[in-house]
Amino acid sequence: MEKQAGAAGAADCAGPNRKPWGSVTCGPVVAGDSLDSPTGSHVEWCKQLIAATISSQISGSVPPDIMNRDNKNLPGLRYGAQVRAFPNQVPLLPGETVQTTVKDVMYICPFSGLVSGTLTITDYKLYFSSVDRETPFILDVNLGAISRLETISVPTQGENTKGLELVCKDMRSPRFAYKTEESHPDVVDALAKHTFPLSHNLPLFAFLYKEQFPVDGWKVYDPVAEYRRQGLPNESWAISKMNSTYELCDTYPSILVIPTNIADEDIKRVALFRAKHRIPVLSWIHPESQATIVRCSQPLVGPSDRRCKEDERFLQIIMDANAQSHKLTIFDARQGSVAVTNKAKDGGYESESFYPNVEMNFLDIPNIHVMRESLRKMKDVVYPTIDEAHWHSAIDQTHWLEYIRLLLAGAAKVADKLESGKTSVVVHCSDGWDRTAQLTSLAMLMLDSYYRTLRGFQVLVEKEWISFGHKFAARVGHGDENHANSERSPLFIQFIDCVWQMTRQFPAAFEFNELFLITVLDHLYSCLFGTFLYNSEEERAAEEVQTKSVSLWSYINSQPEDFTNPFYVDYEHHVLYPLVSSRHLELWTSYYARWNPRMRPQVPVHQTLKELLFLRAELQRRVEELQKETSSHSLSSSSHSPSPTHTTGTPLHSAV
Amino acid sequence: LFSLSTPFIIIFLFSFFFFELGEIVVNEVNFVRKCISAESSQEDLWGKLICTNFKVSFILQDAPPKQKSHLSHLLLGEHDIPLTCLEQVVTVNDTRGKKKVLGSNQKLKFNPTELILYCKDLRILRFCFDEAGPESAKKVCLAIAHYSHPADLHLLFGFEYQGRRYHESKVNGSTPRGGLRTPIFDRPSDWDREIKRTSASGWRVCSAIYDGRCSLPEYIVVPVSLADQDLKRYSIFFTDQRLPLWCWNHPNGSALVRMASISDPVQQRKIEQRVFTAITKSHPQRSDVFKSDLDKCLPNIQDIQSSFVKVRHICVIDPFEESEERWLSSIETSRWLEHVRAFLKHSAEIVYCLDGKNASVILQEEEDRDLNCVVSSLVQLMLDPQYRSLTGFQSLVQKEWVMAGHRFLDRCNHLKKNDKEESPLFMLFLDCVWQMMNQYPAAFEFTETYLTVLSDSMWIPLFSTFLFNSPKQRAQHLIDFAKNKAIPAGEDQAVYFPPVWDWSQQFSTKDQTLFNNPMYVGKGAACVQNGEVKTFTRTKRNYSSSVRATPSSLRNGLKGGEETLTRRGSLLSELKPDFSPVKVESPSERFFRDLFSQPADQRGLLIPLLMPSHVALWKLYFLRWVPEACIPKGGPITAFHKLSQLVDEIEILQSQLRQYKGPSPGSTPLPSPGGPPVNQRRMYFKASPQNDPPTPPDFLTSSFPFTPMGNLCRRSIHGTPISKFLNGARIWLSTETLANDTV
Repeated sequence: MEKQAGAAGAADCAGPNRKPWGSVTCGPVVAGDSLDSPTGSHVEWCKQLIAATISSQISGSVPPDIMNRDNKNLPGLRYGAQVRAFPNQVPLLPGETVQTTVKDVMYICPFSGLVSGTLTITDYKLYFSSVDRETPFILDVNLGAISRLETISVPTQGENTKGLELVCKDMRSPRFAYKTEESHPDVVDALAKHTFPLSHNLPLFAFLYKEQFPVDGWKVYDPVAEYRRQGLPNESWAISKMNSTYELCDTYPSILVIPTNIADEDIKRVALFRAKHRIPVLSWIHPESQATIVRCSQPLVGPSDRRCKEDERFLQIIMDANAQSHKLTIFDARQGSVAVTNKAKDGGYESESFYPNVEMNFLDIPNIHVMRESLRKMKDVVYPTIDEAHWHSAIDQTHWLEYIRLLLAGAAKVADKLESGKTSVVVHCSDGWDRTAQLTSLAMLMLDSYYRTLRGFQVLVEKEWISFGHKFAARVGHGDENHANSERSPLFIQFIDCVWQMTRQFPAAFEFNELFLITVLDHLYSCLFGTFLYNSEEERAAEEVQTKSVSLWSYINSQPEDFTNPFYVDYEHHVLYPLVSSRHLELWTSYYARWNPRMRPQVPVHQTLKELLFLRAELQRRVEELQKETSSHSLSSSSHSPSPTHTTGTPLHSAV
Repeated sequence: LFSLSTPFIIIFLFSFFFFELGEIVVNEVNFVRKCISAESSQEDLWGKLICTNFKVSFILQDAPPKQKSHLSHLLLGEHDIPLTCLEQVVTVNDTRGKKKVLGSNQKLKFNPTELILYCKDLRILRFCFDEAGPESAKKVCLAIAHYSHPADLHLLFGFEYQGRRYHESKVNGSTPRGGLRTPIFDRPSDWDREIKRTSASGWRVCSAIYDGRCSLPEYIVVPVSLADQDLKRYSIFFTDQRLPLWCWNHPNGSALVRMASISDPVQQRKIEQRVFTAITKSHPQRSDVFKSDLDKCLPNIQDIQSSFVKVRHICVIDPFEESEERWLSSIETSRWLEHVRAFLKHSAEIVYCLDGKNASVILQEEEDRDLNCVVSSLVQLMLDPQYRSLTGFQSLVQKEWVMAGHRFLDRCNHLKKNDKEESPLFMLFLDCVWQMMNQYPAAFEFTETYLTVLSDSMWIPLFSTFLFNSPKQRAQHLIDFAKNKAIPAGEDQAVYFPPVWDWSQQFSTKDQTLFNNPMYVGKGAACVQNGEVKTFTRTKRNYSSSVRATPSSLRNGLKGGEETLTRRGSLLSELKPDFSPVKVESPSERFFRDLFSQPADQRGLLIPLLMPSHVALWKLYFLRWVPEACIPKGGPITAFHKLSQLVDEIEILQSQLRQYKGPSPGSTPLPSPGGPPVNQRRMYFKASPQNDPPTPPDFLTSSFPFTPMGNLCRRSIHGTPISKFLNGARIWLSTETLANDTV
């Protein structure tokens, strides 16, 4: 029992049925690494299981080219054909080119030992395939996931052998051993060049990627449409183009929602009083009470307790815009003591004596450095091997779940203040782009069922994270070799983890599934799509990201069925508070520990449900057919039919 | 003898409170406050606290608000606790700072202001007497303590109740076995059917050993090569005469056998040899016999008990906020999950012997009545999908626990006589089953609600299943019982003292549908294959093939998967020691790797994954009463809700299809238009009309169908965490309290 392999055969059985274009577009996660598990990444494994279920109506022996023809309008079809024609060739994405190929490389698998094979480096991925044709083993790591390259010693492998470890952002560290020869270019150099293109004056792969998707993901988020959905503008709130040239605030989006009765001059003064000019703006408005979630950065109070009349009035107007309450609650994500020390650095927090009717709340969430350290510890716990006897206490010691708890608790407080207290809230941390984004987006997810749909969630991420200047480039370090940069921190991963925790507590409340969340995280690093590149809307506009790269949502929305939760039931206006207790928070092993084949579950529940949904559709179709038959029959014979009155094929009974 | 001033009143009819047949009110007190929340008394309920010879009951003063009760017990009200369910009765006097754990026949030197009842089903109830008469409050407390420590087995309420119920039901005429479909294994035909079903041709039913002295059941199954005389001769060498008993046969001919240890060390070798030879002879391929000594490789009953006490403590007694901090570490410290894993892991290894090595297995344990029960039933659950159906599971419990002589009376400690014998082995087994269910949600016909309700039934003393230590003890008590209650000789025991398996004793037909798993893919369930909607029927061939019928010869030959593994083995040999993080796979490791490399066939061989991350805390069982841990509108039940509705819709459609096609030969008469009659629908949640927008099922919580409301009220006593209080209750009783009490 010690060595249980993962669902290694899942690919074998699903293989003939799998959608070739589906797997190639998900290139960064294709990893058919058959020794760890033939399916490699959990994502692909999951997808194949789902795909196998969906395509169970197709008999297993359909040759791939026929399937390709069936799917002609869909992208990525070359994959299947290519692999069939040249089995040794590396599958490439449109726009991807092979940079170097190294033979006689050993992959040092932490689970199964050594595998010898060929290593190919493209401008997008590292692709290792075993020489043994009968037991194909493929390891596929997209370069974007690599945090640093490290040479390791391989003392027993002969003199001219070098060792290489790829320390990845996605919780794995594959290691290789290779022979150095005079004629060979050094693997590390080639790898470093394309892993860290920005440090070598090369473009990110997203700008080379040439895939065409039937759906344009850049159209998912239209701020005006989203604010209109919320019922804005109204008499108190206006959609402002004051920041259309990013002059007011270079890290904010061009379109902002601000109170109606405030002069532009006053706003400019408020901007000077807020860190990085991030003024209080509306994120979400409650459809009934008109209470709002407002986000901003810390006020520049400084050691001398500076005041800003315009800022004070600004918050007063925000409070007045909500007739239901005569209070305004400010949630400062930081620890109270940290907020105080920030005064010395010219920051600070709103003093209750200067802001009448304001209630200050500190949420005690540690900063980005603490979170980075916590996830680093987590990697030691889950990769490559785990300590079975102390698994639970080891997780406790990373404090990762404790921080998840703090975040969810903070967001639940925000949501509850709006929903039950009918009070508007202002959320900020120091700069208002890390913890603030986490809190506002989680609170919105709890309050507004729209954000729990596949589309709505994309809007939420585009809005609260991307457009409001969460510094993705700095936090992730896309294409940058400076791995020790203290700006890096897994804040977005933490947010997705919180979402996952909510989906675990409310398995029927979210339209998207776990695969979707994992896919989003994989492409946070991959640099395949333009979605998460750069730090702000201004930078993205300057780099013409929308015209020169593909959106992640194009990929997702071209095959939404794969990312849909079959349990989903759309209950409108259903406010959900997750239970913020350690008892219900779990480590997301299918993400963090997915590289360990022994950690995977064997049966996804979705499989059964997809089958049942299919069964229902099938039965419904047959009942309809028979109903038609019966009614035509009874018409001709004019006898009374036992058929119920329904002809629409809807269920023929009422609930009990 | 215990004396009470209140005369015993026999209740025949009581309008606002349901009394069972033969139930007697012992004592009662009015104006009692039942605490709902630890923080405030606002939601507290006022009423009358009653102690009967069956239960502790709380009758609300005001008519209770119409509350949607999800699972209403037919014999117990919302606020009732059977006396057998009480773990500890604690009385407190706040003003004088005193507390005392009450046992049987004890004195109480103070008037209690509060009564706290710790229950075996993990509930904690708190009653306050601030408005009640102090004397009557004290009397009720003493009565509860006294009656929850019955002096003798026959004083358990079941004996009174079933006697009356039998005569009442006689008026209407009873059906044989009460319509029970679960085999009880008290007659040779039940065993014969199992032998036939599993093609165990080398085994026979034997009744020669039964002499009313040992714990064996009347009928046992033994190798055909052993004559009754041999068996009698050998049996004396085994502890309690428990010689090897057949449990189950693998389609490949391997047998699962259980036995006690051989008491005479001199004879041990010889006897073992003979027994092994006989078992080998019963194997069609004369395969080897493999013996597994469970005492050596698994935690003992005390380990299990102490870790259960700890995990229960962490889940329900420790203050919620305090245990939040290092929750996972605390769970780890309890070692409960570690024990669960150990049993599952060992069972999986036995499965490897039977299925992978084609060898018969003997499970050996000192007495063959504890660990053997857990392991033998888990092995069969993994190998034989039949036992994953509801009836099959019940027959498994009957076969491997009840008839095999698991000492339910001692392990449950119903008489509270010997705490050292108490151990939640059956609970551990249910947790193991839940782990499998959690990993393979479509493999079991029943739900976790069923498992929970089954565990609760252990503490209701009305069913013959959990009351006795052995079939012999059961037989003797029931014969006496029949005599006393004037039940005619020859009447079926399962009729006059039914087992728990007749669920209509406890729940309505509608509530019983909560036991049905909508995802079940077993016998009769519809499934989709190659785009065709099919109904899965298990033919004999299907059964054996589903149990990995790949002959071992083929597997040892060069089959695809095997070849790659050997190849990999050769690759491994090139490794230098410091570069080889893995050792060469053992055959069993290969077996499991091979098994897990395929998608699980939930109708076939099932082995749970056993990394620590795969084994989870059974939240419904451990946390259902904890209000702080209850997720409103959430929990796995919300997915169950959707599935249940979906399956209901499918069944209606299927019924309509049958209707259109006309009755097929041999089928039931034409179903009514619009689907099967409501009372025949299997799903708890019915499909809703499609045109209606879905309405959120606000009543669902992660505790569903149980409600934490008023079932768990912790209390801190004068700054002492309640945890310390209960933890050290016994210690404290001997020191602090006694000092207090002697004033």
